[in-house]
Amino acid sequence: MRNYDVSIRISGANGDGIDSIGFMIGKSLARNGLYIFGYRGYQSVIRGGSVWYQIRASTEKLYTHGEYIDILISFDLDGIKNSLGFVKGGGIVIYDSKTNGADELAASSKMDINFVKLPLLDSAVKSGGDIYRNTVAFGILSKIVGIKEDFVIKSISDRFKKKPGLVTPNVTAAKIGYELDLGIDTTKFYFGEEGEPKRSYMLSGNEAIAIGAAAAGCKFYAAYPMTPASSILDWFASHENHGILYKQPEDEITAINMTIGAASAGVRAMCGTSGGGFSLMVEGLGLAGILEVPIVVVEAQRSGPSTGLPTKTEQGDLLFVMNASQGEFPRVIIAPRSVEECFYETGAAFNIAEKYQCPVIILSDLFLSEHIESVNIEPERVRIERGKIATEKAGGDFKRYLITEDGVSPRALPGTKGLEFVAPSDDHDEYGNLITDVFVGTPEAVELRRKMHSKRMKKLETMVKNGDIKMPEVVGEGADAYLVTFGSSTYACIEAVGLLKDKGINVGIISFSYLHPMDSEKVEALLSGKRLIDVESNYTAQFARLIRMNTGINIKERILRYDGEAFTGEYLCAEVMKILKG
Amino acid sequence: MYTMQDYKSNVKPIFCPGCGDYGVDASMLKALMELQLDPSNTVIVSGIGCSSSMPHDFKTYGIHGLHGRALPLAEGVRLANTELHVIVAGGDGDGYGIGLNHLIHAIRRNLNITYVVMNNEIYGLTTGQASPTSGMGHITKSTPFGVIERPVNPLSLALAAGATYVARGFSGDPVHLTNLIKNGILHKGFALVDVQSPCVTFNKINTYEWTRKRVYKLEEAGHDPKDFMKAMEKAVEFQLNPEKFPIGLFYEADVPTYEEQEEALKQGPLTKHQLQSIEDVKALLEEHSVL
Ligand SMILES: Cc1ncc(C[n+]2csc(CCOP(=O)(O)OP(=O)(O)O)c2C)c(N)n1
Ligand code: SF4
Ligand SMILES: [Mg+2]
Repeated sequence: MRNYDVSIRISGANGDGIDSIGFMIGKSLARNGLYIFGYRGYQSVIRGGSVWYQIRASTEKLYTHGEYIDILISFDLDGIKNSLGFVKGGGIVIYDSKTNGADELAASSKMDINFVKLPLLDSAVKSGGDIYRNTVAFGILSKIVGIKEDFVIKSISDRFKKKPGLVTPNVTAAKIGYELDLGIDTTKFYFGEEGEPKRSYMLSGNEAIAIGAAAAGCKFYAAYPMTPASSILDWFASHENHGILYKQPEDEITAINMTIGAASAGVRAMCGTSGGGFSLMVEGLGLAGILEVPIVVVEAQRSGPSTGLPTKTEQGDLLFVMNASQGEFPRVIIAPRSVEECFYETGAAFNIAEKYQCPVIILSDLFLSEHIESVNIEPERVRIERGKIATEKAGGDFKRYLITEDGVSPRALPGTKGLEFVAPSDDHDEYGNLITDVFVGTPEAVELRRKMHSKRMKKLETMVKNGDIKMPEVVGEGADAYLVTFGSSTYACIEAVGLLKDKGINVGIISFSYLHPMDSEKVEALLSGKRLIDVESNYTAQFARLIRMNTGINIKERILRYDGEAFTGEYLCAEVMKILKG
Repeated sequence: MYTMQDYKSNVKPIFCPGCGDYGVDASMLKALMELQLDPSNTVIVSGIGCSSSMPHDFKTYGIHGLHGRALPLAEGVRLANTELHVIVAGGDGDGYGIGLNHLIHAIRRNLNITYVVMNNEIYGLTTGQASPTSGMGHITKSTPFGVIERPVNPLSLALAAGATYVARGFSGDPVHLTNLIKNGILHKGFALVDVQSPCVTFNKINTYEWTRKRVYKLEEAGHDPKDFMKAMEKAVEFQLNPEKFPIGLFYEADVPTYEEQEEALKQGPLTKHQLQSIEDVKALLEEHSVL
């Protein structure tokens, strides 16, 4: 297959079925072995507004949906206006012959763009109603990229398997779309010959987190709906027949406390939310810390502060989750960098949580949670390690909070005979009896508090020493500069580095997925003596500050994006060039 | 056969001498013993307050959680392992103030949990501020000019929310209270046992004497706990006539529990499910296959 890299944007209003055709086009191309990347732009309205779905397909692995568009198909004037600036020279803009003002807009464009006017709505009405307009578009796009007509029909029939009444009008709509004459040469967007179908999975980050949790033996998920974490809930709610309990509670305070309860009873349990809900979980996070209960919390960030931009991305909660809740207790923060890592690192999160009996936060963001990639996943790679669990009495009363070398005390699960204990949110002795009240202030209590607090905190050191905290990944040797980044921003860095290379500029990447705890000495050694450019999605360079806190290294050159849009390779490439040119 | 020693821990309760909560502790102990609940299959969950120290007084499993959040914690335990007996203990501030939202929803959910609220109409542990059940005009540390908000009525509130077991006991009558707790544990679904439990240190109004003067037993007054409207009438009686303070079982109904209806529990308690099945994960992934 020749090199292929095409970005298609479908634009219209909420309720136009934009996402579903983007997804279907992606799926058809992924079957042919192409890499797929999908992302959507939308607002917090259920109907109306101006939304888009962008699907990119390539023979090379993809890291973003792309800054620029090859093919735009828009159902309304706003869609053309909002996206026209991103259409590449030589690209196509398809619009509905019923869109008022589109002809004038096309005529006034000075760019080298092919404007194609087609009867989208009329074709839909001919097929049975205006709701079939997206299927007409699916037919048109399938033809442009070169998917055979019988496969287009098959994918429509598959999609509406459960609603047989919708098959005929949708097939009609797709066929009409397929046969519409664009009147221009589109062969450069044709991906090639259809061969043997190849298996891959089209997953969003959130779906990968959910399935990753299921693969790791998670049996309980509690979440109050909040964008962009809600699609995790959607997955769990629709898979309860697999024996995983999803609970929608009255609020996020309940979600985290229920999760702690379920984990205390012995199941692998998780809760998820965005920054606003996490704010409500803060006290519970500390509870898991002092009770030493293993829980996994997903925090899918969106633009803040407060309600912020509910449908836009940001990495602005890093230092918040890092410091959330009073006092000190061990916690782990993992920021997956890709859909695949969403799957595997969720599994790792459960192991770390149980081995070290502490909360583990999976720090995602709207971009990572909602974008779609074609990936290969091997569930066999998921190993379960449950850590120290006491099963029988060793003589005398059970010391749940036994002071140990590594800081981890064997825990007992309710139902186990002879190991009854109380887990208290007050600080306590090895049995779980409170230091507070009567005892506090005595020399013994002072000593006990010192020992118990050190025991808990020791776990951070142990997990680093045991190699459970992954070091950052370094890409590129002897580069002129390194982009230092974390989580979802890594992908755009990879793309940017490729673009810079084409320009003869050698830039590397140091990307972190494990943010806390940090092996300060090793990270310091890794970063020292290199020109570093911090890349992250927030205003205050929170990750650079975290690195400085841990290593003393102050990364002064920074690329910070906080306009709600995700980084793309092109965007970053331009920013890096600005910095390097000084 | 479990004896007293199997339930009672060697921790000395933190209560002030004469505190009503001793009576609740004693009634709980008797209830557990009379029901012969397996201590290793029993979990007592609490929030924060004098009353919330109860788990420490027992040799069962226990979680002493956050102020106001005992119910969510207990619900998580119960959802994860439906073989456990889950009992929640706490105070009026804990349950009817900061945690009131959870009570309403716990009632709606109707999980098999018994909730014992030691209602002393005051914040004990924080040394005597007004609670959501403090009466009008009550002078406390935080209301030096007297309470000017009307008190929460936990009983009528619970009934209105659809509670399936609503009772009130008095810690000055531990035998009667033991029965209410016992029947609450036996009840299928969520059971609320509000207990008039005097704080002898900070509440000089709602004392033992105050209570004794007003208290009477519903069962002796011929109350039918199956009659919802009558239950409501009894629940608001004290509001209308401050000289009458009924205790006993106000209402009980047979309604399906959450556990009985929950899809994920059809294969038994979550703790007993197979932890990992690669085949199942493959099937889950296949839903997203492009083929
Ligand atoms: C979030 C939070 N806010 C405040 C407190 C302080 N606090 C501890 S106990 C309590 C009130 C206790 O009153 P109640 O629940 O009626 O219990 P009692 O001591 O009367 O038995 C308060 C406000 C706390 N622990 N946590
Ligand atoms: S302060 Fe009141 S409620 Fe607390 S232990 Fe003393 S008497 Fe009981
Ligand atoms: Mg109280």
